[in-house]
Amino acid sequence: MAGDGTDTFHITFEFPDGSEHTVTTDRDEYVLAAARRAGLDLPSRCEVGWDLTCAVRVLDGELDHTDAQRYFPADQQAGFALICRATPRADLRLRTHQAIAMRDHRLAHRLPTPYGV
Amino acid sequence: MTEKPHATGTVAPGDVTRRVGIEMLRQRGIDVEQLIQKLIDNAAAEFASTYYYYSILRMYLAGHEDYKEICEDARLEDRQHYELILPRIYELGGSLPYSLHEFADRAGCPHAYLPGTDNGSHPPEQPPSAADILTVLLESERCAIRSWQEICDICAGKDPRTYDLAARILNEEIEHEAWFIELLAMERDGQVQPSGHFRRGAPGEAPYSRNRAFHHGGAGN
Ligand code: FES
Ligand SMILES: [Fe+2]
Ligand SMILES: [Fe+2]
Repeated sequence: MAGDGTDTFHITFEFPDGSEHTVTTDRDEYVLAAARRAGLDLPSRCEVGWDLTCAVRVLDGELDHTDAQRYFPADQQAGFALICRATPRADLRLRTHQAIAMRDHRLAHRLPTPYGV
Repeated sequence: MTEKPHATGTVAPGDVTRRVGIEMLRQRGIDVEQLIQKLIDNAAAEFASTYYYYSILRMYLAGHEDYKEICEDARLEDRQHYELILPRIYELGGSLPYSLHEFADRAGCPHAYLPGTDNGSHPPEQPPSAADILTVLLESERCAIRSWQEICDICAGKDPRTYDLAARILNEEIEHEAWFIELLAMERDGQVQPSGHFRRGAPGEAPYSRNRAFHHGGAGN
């Protein structure tokens, strides 16, 4: 965005083993693509924002899920993101490997989800 | 006494509550429960794709008889994929959901919609272009490839039976992707991207997955 200073974002990933990695991206790049570009190994399957394999928990920041195939307001309220089809709208801190937690959230809210994540 | 290691195990003789065919997988580190759930998710995606190939592509490709035929091959082969994997779900101790609604909801790949219908909420105002339809189909094949590749990855070296079934399906999904790339590249961009495709022997040929044929006469029998 011209002039508003939000073109570059820093994304910090917290892995289950406690390690942290920060990558730099812009508002047009999917978060998963940015992670891959930086050499991070993160799970994915459908890669269209549908099956929850790439789910993360958003500890800080905001994402745009316009391109995700199935993402509900309740997902956002619960702090989950599908990074294969989400772009950053702020600096982000994300906890990776949250597919099972997101599936359980969907089931608890009677929202559709694959089970085999 | 001769040792017969393969004639021993944890399942008591005559026990019909457990299956050695499942115990072998657990011993090799397969999470059988998770595998069943993944197979059901994939089966749901195949089932749904039969529906949309039929309703979307073939019905709305007026003037493209060649595309209609190729679409029909892909549709029947996806149905074949559903039929092929279904018995394996039960062999492993799983079951399809008792509700069709629940089954559709848990598909591992997105539901496709006819372009220009706001995700299926109304009929298209303009006839969708062949390029738009081919784009939808291409992406659905890609998700199918990712899903069956994952099953192969999980089962490689541990569950040869599920691996074999998934690999047969994967063979055809890879072909489907190449077909739709060829068609879309020419239709949309005027580019040649050969797929190696000529024609199936008959609609529903399913050269890799047809051992669970679901229809009689013609291909698959
Ligand atoms: S990989 Fe399927 S939702 Fe992201
Ligand atoms: Fe298929
Ligand atoms: Fe297919």
